[in-house]
Amino acid sequence: MLGYLVKRLLRSVITLFIIVVIVFVMLRQMPVEGYFNDYDNMTPEAVQNALQNMGLLDPIPTQLTRFIKDFVRGDLGVSYRYRVNYPIAKIVADKAPLSLTFGGIAMLIGLPLGFGLGILMARSKGKWIAGIGTAYIVIMQSVPLAVIYLVIQLVFTSLFRIPLLYSSSNPRTWILPIATLALPTIATYGLWLRRYMVDEQNRDYIKLAKAKGVPSKFIWYRHVFRNAVVPLVQLIPASILATLSGSIYVESLYSIPGMGGLLVDVIKRQDNTMVQALVILFAAVSILGLLLGDLLMVLVDPRISLTAKTRTR
Amino acid sequence: MENNRILSINDLHVKFSLRGQVLHALRGISLDVLKGESLAIVGESGSGKSVFVKNLNGLLDNNGWIDEGTIMYYGLPEEPEGINLAQFKTEKDWLRVRGNHIAMVMQDPMTSLNPLKTIGSQLCEALNLHQGLSGALAQAKAVELLRDVGIREPQVRIRQYPHQFSGGMRQRVVIAMAMACSPRVLICDEPTTALDVTIQAQILDLIKDLKQKHHLTTIYITHDLGVVANVADRIAVMYSGDIVEIGTCEEVFYNPQHPYTWALLSSLPQLGKKDEDLFAIAGTPPNLFFKVRGDAFAPRNPYALAIDFLHRPPYFEVSPTHKARTWLLDPRAPKVEPPPAIKAIGNLKPGGEQV
Repeated sequence: MLGYLVKRLLRSVITLFIIVVIVFVMLRQMPVEGYFNDYDNMTPEAVQNALQNMGLLDPIPTQLTRFIKDFVRGDLGVSYRYRVNYPIAKIVADKAPLSLTFGGIAMLIGLPLGFGLGILMARSKGKWIAGIGTAYIVIMQSVPLAVIYLVIQLVFTSLFRIPLLYSSSNPRTWILPIATLALPTIATYGLWLRRYMVDEQNRDYIKLAKAKGVPSKFIWYRHVFRNAVVPLVQLIPASILATLSGSIYVESLYSIPGMGGLLVDVIKRQDNTMVQALVILFAAVSILGLLLGDLLMVLVDPRISLTAKTRTR
Repeated sequence: MENNRILSINDLHVKFSLRGQVLHALRGISLDVLKGESLAIVGESGSGKSVFVKNLNGLLDNNGWIDEGTIMYYGLPEEPEGINLAQFKTEKDWLRVRGNHIAMVMQDPMTSLNPLKTIGSQLCEALNLHQGLSGALAQAKAVELLRDVGIREPQVRIRQYPHQFSGGMRQRVVIAMAMACSPRVLICDEPTTALDVTIQAQILDLIKDLKQKHHLTTIYITHDLGVVANVADRIAVMYSGDIVEIGTCEEVFYNPQHPYTWALLSSLPQLGKKDEDLFAIAGTPPNLFFKVRGDAFAPRNPYALAIDFLHRPPYFEVSPTHKARTWLLDPRAPKVEPPPAIKAIGNLKPGGEQV
C-alpha cells in the first residue's frame, strides 16, 4: 500500500512539474504589457527598470526555480493588472471558499439524489418512471445550461419571491444557486449509475446469486449497486475539487463573488502572472482530484492490487 | 414410479417474445426426473437445453413465459402431492425452492462470481439465507464447504477474491456455493465447457462425489457427449425445443433410434482414423419463429419419410426406459439401417450384443 502510494504521489508531482514548466515558459513569451497597468505612459527605460526589479530579465531557469520555490510555500506571486501588486494567493483565498462551499454543498445534495435517480431508473427500466428520468437527463444534457439556469432564476424568483441576487447575510438567497448547481450533477450521476447498474444486472454472477436464492432486494443493493458504483467513485473527488474553479454562469447570474470567470477575466486583461498562477493552480487541483480518485478506487475495488502480482492458483 | 420422481414435467411449452415476434422455444416437453439419478440433456446450441432448465428455478428471461404445461416438484416436505413450479408467479414463490431445493452451477466460472466480494462473503450469503448461519458459524461452515470441494488452505482462501482463483478453482467455489444451500437437485449448465480438458474430469468427479455424499439428483446440460458418457444414468436428446429421444446411457449410446441421435453420435470424432472428414449434420435447425410442421428434424434428415413432413411423430417405446419421437419406429415404416458409424459404436459395447 505504502509503495503504491509513494509511486502514485511521485507520478502526480512529476506531472505537475511538467505542467508548471510548460505554462511558465509559455507565459514568459507573452508581451511585457501584461506586467504593467499603464504601459502606454511609460518610457522604455522605466519598463526595463521595472522588469529588472520584478526579476523578469533573469534567465528563465532562475525565474522558474524561484517560482517553484514560492509556489511550494503557497506564494503564487502578485497580480500586476487585475489588482496591482496584490498577492494572487490572497485573491484566491478570498474567492475560492465561496465557490467551494456552493459547489461542495451542491455535490453533497446532487450526489445522493443522482444515485437515487440512477437506482430508480435502473429498477424501473422500461416503465414510465424511467421515461421521466430519461427526459430529465436529456433536457439537462442537451439544453444549454445557461438557458436552464436563466429559466430557473426567472421562475423561482418570481414564484417564491426569493431575492434575485446572492447576499451573504440572507440564507434564502443561497438556495437557488445551490439547487441550480446540483441539477446537472443529479443528471450526470443518474445517467451513469443507471447505465452501470443495467450492465451489472445482466452479469452471470447476478444470475448465480438469483439461482442460489438471494431475494432481489439484496441482489440490487449488495451486488448490482455495489458493483455499479465502482467506476463512479473514481470521479467523485475530482468533481468535488473541480467546484473550486466555480461556475461562470451561476456565479455571474446571482452575483456571487467566487472564482467563476476569474481565469477568463484575467486572460482578457492579459494579467500574465495571474493567468500563470491560476492555470497552474487549477492543474494542481485536477491532479489532486485524480490522485484521490485512484486512491479511493483501491479501497472499493479489490482487483486493483497494490503490492506486486498476487498469486493465482 | 410415482414416488421416486422428484420432478415431473408435462407438456411444457415456453415462448419468447422477440422484436414483436413470438418464438416457440420449447414445444411440449415431457420428462420425469427420478430421485438420485443423473440425467444429461444433450443437444446442439439453440436446442432449448438452457431454456428448459431455467424453468426449474424461475430464471427464464423476462420476455419468456410458460405457455402451457406443468412442472411438478415433489421435494417440498410440506407439499407431498407436489407443487407446480409452472404456476409460480412471484419471487416469493420461487424463493421457496431456489437454491435450497434446486441449485445451479453455471457454465463460466470466470464470470459467475461477484468480483468485488470475497469468496467467504459470497458463500456466507447463501448459508445465511438457507441455513440461518451468520458470523463465525457461517465462516466455519464456509471453510468446511471449501474443503469439501477440494480447495486447499480454505481458511486463507475464504478471505480472497475471485480474481485470486484459477478457473477450475472458481468452478469449485461455485459448486461449494450451490452446496451451501444443501439442495436436492443440482443443475449443472455446461459445468466444464469453459474449463481445460485436464480440469474437466476433476470437476465432473467432484460433482459425482458430492452427488453420492449428499444424495443429490443431478441434471447436466451439455453438448459434450464425452461428459455425458462419463456422468449420466439417463440421456435426453433435445432438438428444436423438444426431447426427441430419451433412454438410459447405454440405450442411447448403443441403440439409438432417432436419426438426430444418429447424426449427433456420428459427429463424434473417432480416434485413430486418419484422412476421414469429420461428419457434420447438413442444414440448420428450423426457425422457431414459425410453426414447425411434422418432425422438426425432417429437412435435415436423410432418412426422412413423407409423413415426417406432415405429422409430428409421437413417442414410440423401445423399452420401458427408452423412447424416441420418430416415425421410423412405427410398425408401418420401412426398415432403415442406422449409419455405419452408429453400428461401430454398438460394436464397442462391452460384451456387445449387437442390435
